[in-house]
Amino acid sequence: MTTATAHQPTSDKPKAVPGRSVIFKIKRCDGPGKPFRWESFKVPTEPGSNVISCLKWIAANPTTTDGKQTTPVVWDSGCLEEVCGACTMVINGRVRQSCSCLIDDYAPREGDTVTLEPMSKFPVIRDLWVDRERMFNALERVKGWVPIDGTYNLGAGPQESPEHQQMRYALSECMTCGCCLEACPQFLKEEDPKNWDTAFIGAQAISQARYFNEHETGARLKGDRMDVLTGPGGVSDCGNAQNCVKVCPKHIPLTESIGAVGRSATVHAIKKFFLGH
Amino acid sequence: MSDNAGFLQKHHFLIRRLHSLSGILPIGVFLIAHLVTNSSILWGGAALKARGQAEDLSLTQGGIAYFQEEVSWINTQVPHLLLIEISLWAAIAFHSILGIYYATSGKSNLAHYSYQDNKRYVLQRWSGYLGILFIFYHVATLRWGWTFLVPSGTEWSHHFSASTLAAAVQGSTSGYTAIGVVVSLFYFLGVSLLVFHFANGLWTAAITWGLTVSEQAQKRWGYVCTALGAGLMLAAWSSLAGAFLTDHDTALEVESAILVEEHGPEHLEHLIEEVMDDEDHDEHTLNTTDTDNNEG
Ligand code: SF4
Ligand code: SF4
Ligand code: FES
Repeated sequence: MTTATAHQPTSDKPKAVPGRSVIFKIKRCDGPGKPFRWESFKVPTEPGSNVISCLKWIAANPTTTDGKQTTPVVWDSGCLEEVCGACTMVINGRVRQSCSCLIDDYAPREGDTVTLEPMSKFPVIRDLWVDRERMFNALERVKGWVPIDGTYNLGAGPQESPEHQQMRYALSECMTCGCCLEACPQFLKEEDPKNWDTAFIGAQAISQARYFNEHETGARLKGDRMDVLTGPGGVSDCGNAQNCVKVCPKHIPLTESIGAVGRSATVHAIKKFFLGH
Repeated sequence: MSDNAGFLQKHHFLIRRLHSLSGILPIGVFLIAHLVTNSSILWGGAALKARGQAEDLSLTQGGIAYFQEEVSWINTQVPHLLLIEISLWAAIAFHSILGIYYATSGKSNLAHYSYQDNKRYVLQRWSGYLGILFIFYHVATLRWGWTFLVPSGTEWSHHFSASTLAAAVQGSTSGYTAIGVVVSLFYFLGVSLLVFHFANGLWTAAITWGLTVSEQAQKRWGYVCTALGAGLMLAAWSSLAGAFLTDHDTALEVESAILVEEHGPEHLEHLIEEVMDDEDHDEHTLNTTDTDNNEG
């Protein structure tokens, strides 16, 4: 049984039974356009097991609970310490990184079930591995960089107060994992890259635009960024459900970013109206 | 169709912001004025007495008199009333049509992410859908005279504002009927949802426009919006309670007395005749249809 309270570790969580086996119910897909199917695996655990270590065990022993031999389950991962975002998936109905997801918290008893699904807002490449290209495209659209390339030396960088630096540091932690987009009711799956320019861009790119707008040199591209963010799919498509900020594993103040970019958008639009640029 | 989409995309931001603005100005501002006026049916008696007026009236009668005076003022003193009304209806149509278009572009996910803010997000959409149905019923029956949607068949009149209102929500001129209670419940649901919609919309508008950026500011503005919402909710419920509890005949007496005092008894007779005529006419039509049917 999936326990409803197993999403988040709590102080009164049941003690994990050592040496138990746990059922992994996995939503699988053989490739783009292929149908989904569910398969379950019984996996022995060790203290400190996480979802990735269990997926490794399944890869080595790809036999379902019905005794059927199947293909190894595919997933993506990189850092294994919750800083790259590659291993993001939907675990027990909620999006998070799988590398930092401890089985002791999620399935403390013998026979408990953990459900794994690929993120629903991105195209599935295979099984739990999705294509997050749209997020990188969004970063390009909002010019998520500081423009320093050129033909002459720009000299030393700007001075920055420690407070401002702290504020920007929090924004810099984004790992493009996609949790905020997966949980956002306004951000919908869009397989066709042609529609990426008009579909809601989501909290990740909005917050990154703010991050680079706040950099003194980066601010040179603010007008371009705000053109994109006041266009279709820009910041005004946010519905203020504020799910993004609650699921962000890096605790990035996304709703503050949305407010800040909303303010820039207001100013940008008024300027444009009266000055024409 | 693609032209439409093109226009919407080109002016995406402007239209979005106008959508946000229209919810506050004029709709929200009107809502405040409307609820404060209407709730006077409950507190107006006390207000009159505090001013040392209406000493010969009971509190209930005073409330009716106060409300009637407010309504008369709006209907006779406010310049360009029709223009104001049409702008308001246009703003409501704009806000609701776009709102439905925008709302259907999202996909709620409360089942897995049941945060309070997410519930607000969902409720904002449903209160919009139901709210617009309610506004339509409310305006059609009490303003446009679509009496076939009123259980008692009463046509609201600004000369007899409280009595005709009471009949419309109670279901008859002589007390409550089952269908009247249903109408009142619909009113209760409708106004409650709309007040929520406004208070919550005001809260999110501050983020949208970038007035509240920090979490602290959003929280503080949240308290302001909650307080405003609570006050408006009280006004809305008072208005409805006033309409629901007002006795039709008592109200008619008070209203008649005001008319006599202001315009003389002939005017009142004239107005009553007009109303009666309307009803006669209705009955007459009914009779004719009946006969027609019999003959057929
Ligand atoms: S606040 Fe905006 S971006 Fe964040 S989850 Fe809600 S709709 Fe999406
Ligand atoms: S903002 Fe947070 S949830 Fe969104 S992509 Fe960045 S790290 Fe992930
Ligand atoms: S593998 Fe990098 S976040 Fe999990």
